[in-house]
Amino acid sequence: MTTEKSAMVSVTNLTKSFGTVVAVNNISFEVKPGEIFGILGPNGAGKTTTIKQILGLLEQEQGEIRVFGLDPGTDDIEIKRNIGYVSEDPLIYKSMTPRMLFNFIASIRGMDESETTEKLQYYFESFEAVEYYDKLVATLSRGNKQKMQVIAALIHDPLLLIMDEPLTGLDAKSAKVVKEILDLHKERGGSVIFSTHILEVAEEMCDRIAIMDRGKIIAMGTVEELSKMVNKVGADLEDIFLKLTNQDESVNHIVKNLRNMMNCNKRS
Amino acid sequence: MLNNKDLYRISKRVYREGILQGQLQSAGSDQARFLEKIDKDKMQRSPDIILKVMSAIYIAGLVTIPIFSLITIHSTLGSGIDSSWVTFVGGLSISGFLVMQPAVLLIFSFMFTWGLMSGGPYKWIHTLPLGKKDIERIGFFTFLRSINVQLISMSLVLPAGIVTSIVLVLGSEISVLSLVLLIITSIFLSIINLVFNLSLLVIISRKMAIIMGDQEVNSRKTNIIRVLSMVLYMTVSMGAMYLIQIAIAKIPELYVLQSWSAGTTNIVNIVLSILPFPFAGGYLLTIMAMDVSNVSGVLLGSSILGIILFVFLTYLVYRKALSTLRKITSTELKKYSKEKKEVFVEDIKIKTNGPTIAFLKRDFAIITREMSSVMILIMPFMIPLYMLFIPMEAQQLIGSAGLTFVMIMALFYVSMVSVMLVIGLTNIESGGSTITASLPISVRDQVKSKLPHFLVTIPLALIVAMLTKIGTSQFIIMISFALAFLPVIPIIGLASLFFKARLFGKMKHKIVLEEIKNENKFVKHVLVIVFTFVLMGVFIFISAYGFIYLGIAEVVAAILLYVTYNVMFPKQ
Repeated sequence: MTTEKSAMVSVTNLTKSFGTVVAVNNISFEVKPGEIFGILGPNGAGKTTTIKQILGLLEQEQGEIRVFGLDPGTDDIEIKRNIGYVSEDPLIYKSMTPRMLFNFIASIRGMDESETTEKLQYYFESFEAVEYYDKLVATLSRGNKQKMQVIAALIHDPLLLIMDEPLTGLDAKSAKVVKEILDLHKERGGSVIFSTHILEVAEEMCDRIAIMDRGKIIAMGTVEELSKMVNKVGADLEDIFLKLTNQDESVNHIVKNLRNMMNCNKRS
Repeated sequence: MLNNKDLYRISKRVYREGILQGQLQSAGSDQARFLEKIDKDKMQRSPDIILKVMSAIYIAGLVTIPIFSLITIHSTLGSGIDSSWVTFVGGLSISGFLVMQPAVLLIFSFMFTWGLMSGGPYKWIHTLPLGKKDIERIGFFTFLRSINVQLISMSLVLPAGIVTSIVLVLGSEISVLSLVLLIITSIFLSIINLVFNLSLLVIISRKMAIIMGDQEVNSRKTNIIRVLSMVLYMTVSMGAMYLIQIAIAKIPELYVLQSWSAGTTNIVNIVLSILPFPFAGGYLLTIMAMDVSNVSGVLLGSSILGIILFVFLTYLVYRKALSTLRKITSTELKKYSKEKKEVFVEDIKIKTNGPTIAFLKRDFAIITREMSSVMILIMPFMIPLYMLFIPMEAQQLIGSAGLTFVMIMALFYVSMVSVMLVIGLTNIESGGSTITASLPISVRDQVKSKLPHFLVTIPLALIVAMLTKIGTSQFIIMISFALAFLPVIPIIGLASLFFKARLFGKMKHKIVLEEIKNENKFVKHVLVIVFTFVLMGVFIFISAYGFIYLGIAEVVAAILLYVTYNVMFPKQ
């Protein structure tokens, strides 16, 4: 119980099925204050389903989730006051401009106008997005939409950030800004749940990583702890990930075939 | 350089892309769900086939107007009715047919040609190793593909109609030379009309694509223009359909109702026949059907002059359409946007409102921009149109009971509008999901933001509908009826909203407006529709016992609804 109280997020024996498909199969983990917790896994591993349950967007079936000690099923409004969320796919109202969008967000969150204006100006300048403030979201590039999502997640200074592929589409400079913001957030005692396919980023940023495959957490720990699990001291996260998800042999086979094919079809 | 057959084949891919883009535009904020749907359901990928066949049948059905006209011309000619009047009515009827063809073509084909006219589907073909001329030809073929079935129907229908008239009646009555001239004229008119209608469709579709689709434009003024354009489009569509029915029903009566002197009719005939579209064609065909010997040389001359002008006009419209097609297949498609003022960091300011107002503002921003949502604004305003168009016919049909029938139909129309509003408004909630997913949204606030639509918009539309009857003897009865039913409108609208939320959004601990439970979606939608109509039926049934009972039912229903609202969406 002590750990549950101190944890920002606590997931215990969580299971979720869609029909006959078990999307999340009896997983447990905790995210502590000041921690960046990575969730890695191939497509369909159950990462997004887990995140959606933490947000209260999907109903819990079995197991227990606590966010700030509250149940997302019943206290979702209270929880969401302190959560910032970046989704893998930026489904933002395309008929609105960022001005309308942030007015809407600030209104729903009941934020102070002058304080929010100040923060918004800072973020828009940092992401070099000032010129897009009155353009329709529909006309923004993937990267600029992603910037809007990131700003929307940060604007209310939440305790917990849930970021599903937050760097997708961002240019190098903006990606660096996001990483710095996450580090600052962590230093201030905030937590981050970070789901990504970019293993270098996960290795660089996450304090602990859970690797999911077919709905289960197959390994969890720091990069060092994970490398010990695969008996490869000093191995990078890519090697660890492929080994743990049993994809290493398949990748070697594909690469070998590709080499053969390309050698046979050399350019004249 | 590829041959035309290859290019026609390539145009199939561009066409399918255009269809998809049109569907995506229509899906509005529901695009992600729509894409998921077409991934599972292959039938969704070809929504054009049914509409194409329907419009081709409708276009073919229009041929009854000239057939009917020509047969009536024949039967009235020897009956003592002035030949100038026969020419006038015949010319007018066939002109009506010529107008209805592009109208029907536009109404049924616009949804698909609009996607093509945005220029979007042609973008990817620029990545293929094709020349500029080839791409232009692909553009032309793609457009033809989009209305191929309608084109076949449109090109055959007039000559086929004329031949039918000849076989039925005219063959034995007019000279062989006249028959040959009649057939040649119908084929000639059919071709010119086809080119003219196609060109019009290209130009109007492009204009609508600019108005509805240009994402760069976002001023309040352009939003209003966008909504008004849609209202106009719907009005013209409804009006056109209504006119077809009236025209078919009234043509025979017109022949015997000569209102002017022969001299005046002759002058009117000459003036109208010079007008290139639609009258010149209508008059020329009528003259040929009447036998040239029955018509004055001046009228024949003015009709031929009108046809020459029509050919010239068609040429101009065709040139304009070709240039439009060239532009949309070009990589440098001009954007119809005004210069934007530069935004500085000081311009970034936040202005907050209460949650209900924030939802209302968001809904308005979406409703005025997205095709699927714009119906929310348009549908209530169709009630006054319904009252203008339908009652006359209904009352004639049913006599004294007509008034009650008309009002009951209006109330069921209100029920239909309510269901459409409920579906449209809840669809908005499902859009922008990555932003709303993490917002501390109170469903109670969301519901409150929908109230003005049911409390103000639809009741207001019904009152305006009744105002169209001011000055008539039925006005007092109709307005009393409408006022008595006014509280029923928000009651059935909100009941329908709550019922839909219960079916689609029931979670363990709360009910949301978003469609979370999507299984058996079709059945659930049918249930919502049936529920709304049955509820309205119950109120209508109670009203038959007297308005006092209706009032009591309204009060009871309102109390029940308020309790349900508090139970389903408690304060948090």
